[in-house]
Amino acid sequence: MATFEIFLKKDGRDEFRHVGALDAANDELAVVSARECYVRRGEGDLLWVVRRDHILHPDRDFTAPNADKPHRHHSGEAVAARRKALRAANE
Amino acid sequence: MNEVSPAARDVILAFADDEQLMGQQHTEWIGVAPFLEEDLAFASIGQDELGHAALLYEALVGSDDADIDALAFYREPTNWRSCALTETTLPEWSDTLVRHWLYDAAEELRWQLFADSSLPVLADISVRALSEERFHRRHGDALLDVLLSVDDARNRVMASLRAVLPLAMTLFDGAPGETEAVAEGVVSAPLSAVQAPWQARVDERFGSVDWATVAAPAATQRTERHADFAPMLARMLEVLDLDRTVTW
Repeated sequence: MATFEIFLKKDGRDEFRHVGALDAANDELAVVSARECYVRRGEGDLLWVVRRDHILHPDRDFTAPNADKPHRHHSGEAVAARRKALRAANE
Repeated sequence: MNEVSPAARDVILAFADDEQLMGQQHTEWIGVAPFLEEDLAFASIGQDELGHAALLYEALVGSDDADIDALAFYREPTNWRSCALTETTLPEWSDTLVRHWLYDAAEELRWQLFADSSLPVLADISVRALSEERFHRRHGDALLDVLLSVDDARNRVMASLRAVLPLAMTLFDGAPGETEAVAEGVVSAPLSAVQAPWQARVDERFGSVDWATVAAPAATQRTERHADFAPMLARMLEVLDLDRTVTW
């Protein structure tokens, strides 16, 4: 048996979303089970079935060694407020 | 929908009753199927069969739920047209799985008999049902592909096949009105015409069966009920009978 992660996409521009996982003896049974376990009521029309052990997951120290990086954030709010004030002044 | 002749009604009921009972049998595995994923998948397939039954009953009485309930649940047992394969309760999962495969292999061929029906509603239902049957068959095959490749499982599946095959032969017993319904163009052929292609599918799936040793029960034209039918109908009515007048 292997564990598979299931992703569903609805019609249109929605992205694939993770909806759950299941265990199956092989790829075909995983696909068959995914359809009946997660798409029974038309929750989506595209399916990704991914073996969990095929997912790359670098460890936490690599991904986010320190969250404290204010210089990586743009202060969009301050700029937006200034632009809004300028627009108002010009009207 | 009064244009349905008594003969047409007979063949529609034969299919609808089989579908309803097969759906009921499948859904009784919910919570007790061998693993969670299969529990959900199998109950879902059962619901598909119940959906087919509802469409066929609706073709006979219109879309009024009260009328459909009367037809689907409150007929005298002698007026049912189901076969022993769908009436029999099978407590063993391997028997149930084999029945699922055998039934769906035949069901797909059976829907094809309705594809060019003189009753357009039946042709429409058959298109929808066939799209679902493709999946049901893929499900059964996916499980059997795995099970038949392992000695212990293969032995159990093959023992179940030997046990269930005689029952399965009752599928091809046509209702009394069948000959006339074929003449009317409601179905393109009698159920007996489906038997040879179905046997070929069984041979291909499980290896050659010695069909001469498969002892089918005597044909009754679907007018007699198996001993398991009455208790099953009682289970089906358990909730409805709390109050027959309530609107759900």
